[in-house]
Amino acid sequence: MAAGGAAAALGAPAVLGQAAPRVVVVGGGFAGASCARALKAESPGLAVTLVEPAKLYVTCPFSNLVVAGLRDLAALQFGYEGIARAGIDVVHQSVVGVDPDARRVRLDDGTELGYARLVMAPGVDLNLDAIPGYDQAAAEIMPHAWKAGPQTLLLRDQLHSMPDGGTVVMSAPANPFRCPPGPYERASLIAHFLKTRKPRAKLILLDGKDAFSKQKLFEAAWQELYPGLIEWVSLSFGGRVTGVDAATRTIATEFASHRADVANIIPPQRAAAVARIAGVADQTGWCPIDPVSFESRLVPGIHVIGDAAIGGAMPKSAFTANGQAKVCAAAVAALIDGRQPIEPKLINTCYSFVAPDYGISIAGVFEPRDGLLAEVKGAGGVSPLDAPRTVRTLEAGYAESWFQTVTHEVFA
Amino acid sequence: MLAFKAGTRAATVMDRIAKGFSDEEIRAIAQWLGGDAGASARAAKP
Repeated sequence: MAAGGAAAALGAPAVLGQAAPRVVVVGGGFAGASCARALKAESPGLAVTLVEPAKLYVTCPFSNLVVAGLRDLAALQFGYEGIARAGIDVVHQSVVGVDPDARRVRLDDGTELGYARLVMAPGVDLNLDAIPGYDQAAAEIMPHAWKAGPQTLLLRDQLHSMPDGGTVVMSAPANPFRCPPGPYERASLIAHFLKTRKPRAKLILLDGKDAFSKQKLFEAAWQELYPGLIEWVSLSFGGRVTGVDAATRTIATEFASHRADVANIIPPQRAAAVARIAGVADQTGWCPIDPVSFESRLVPGIHVIGDAAIGGAMPKSAFTANGQAKVCAAAVAALIDGRQPIEPKLINTCYSFVAPDYGISIAGVFEPRDGLLAEVKGAGGVSPLDAPRTVRTLEAGYAESWFQTVTHEVFA
Repeated sequence: MLAFKAGTRAATVMDRIAKGFSDEEIRAIAQWLGGDAGASARAAKP
């Protein structure tokens, strides 16, 4: 009954010769691109504009395989042609202004776009003020590689040319940040590279926290596959990076100073700058949202999804972004149609490679509770610690299947 | 899905996910997957 009403209401303006309600989506990553497609697929009566400056998207998922020389970057690159073919206006511009009262966004070429609702999926900015000495120039010497593309290749090439017997130093930030298991998958795959190509080299992982995602599984796998190769330094043991010197590739912590042959600094993060332009980021740097509609708690008419949003218990992952996008699309269509959004249930599944044929996973189911997205108790969890190697091989295969499925759904 | 939830069907991740859904929600998912999206929408209504 509600669905019939929706179709009638969305059809009405066209019958009267008025313009279709427009939804503008800012950001063409897993969250924004998924949301634009879901909006157009389920509400063909809406006009949908996707604003994304880049003409090619490079996925962060699977970029650790590129770092370790196990995959070409080209396999991670996707254009927006498929999205345009789905009937979405794709505009390769940056947003320079948002007027939430007039419901308009301004692009850097001067164009103004009116919207009935705005969806922001801006992703993250790396906070290059957080670690003394780690600025834009330092990142060209000590890559973060936390946005896939040239930084990924820089880190890969540095690993290839480092001396055998050298030291790789990585640093991981405190929570929250994009892809919680990502630094540990990266350490694993770099260890795989070192074991096969630079067997006398070592990896030190400096951490701004005392616990991490899938920790027991990673540590057991490191013991099994890379004994003595990875040294993880927790926050309590002096893992927090207090400064870097790019010229000498030196990383300082409260207790020690590390000279690296290759340094990979993953700095703290926050919602990308356009979230601050729109006024949807709070003092934490992230964007508070209503967990049912994903509407901003700060600015009405603007929804925030993906890594930039405060997702409660949901991790900042591509799977999360893709699911939030679909829920948000349904909520946006309902609100434009004058209906209440339906309470969602969301899923996350994150696979990590510990070796090319060794996968582990974490899964969770989430629902709105006390104003946040909370985990459904009794569900979710990580791969069994005592699983046979055949299960690890299966999960590595499922990781590959997930990547093929999600990139096909979003970009094909 | 119900067998995954009960743990009677072997799985790597579906058992962990199925436990997060009620039997009614699982039936709604099954109906939607079966192509009857209308039935699914009705079942999901509170």
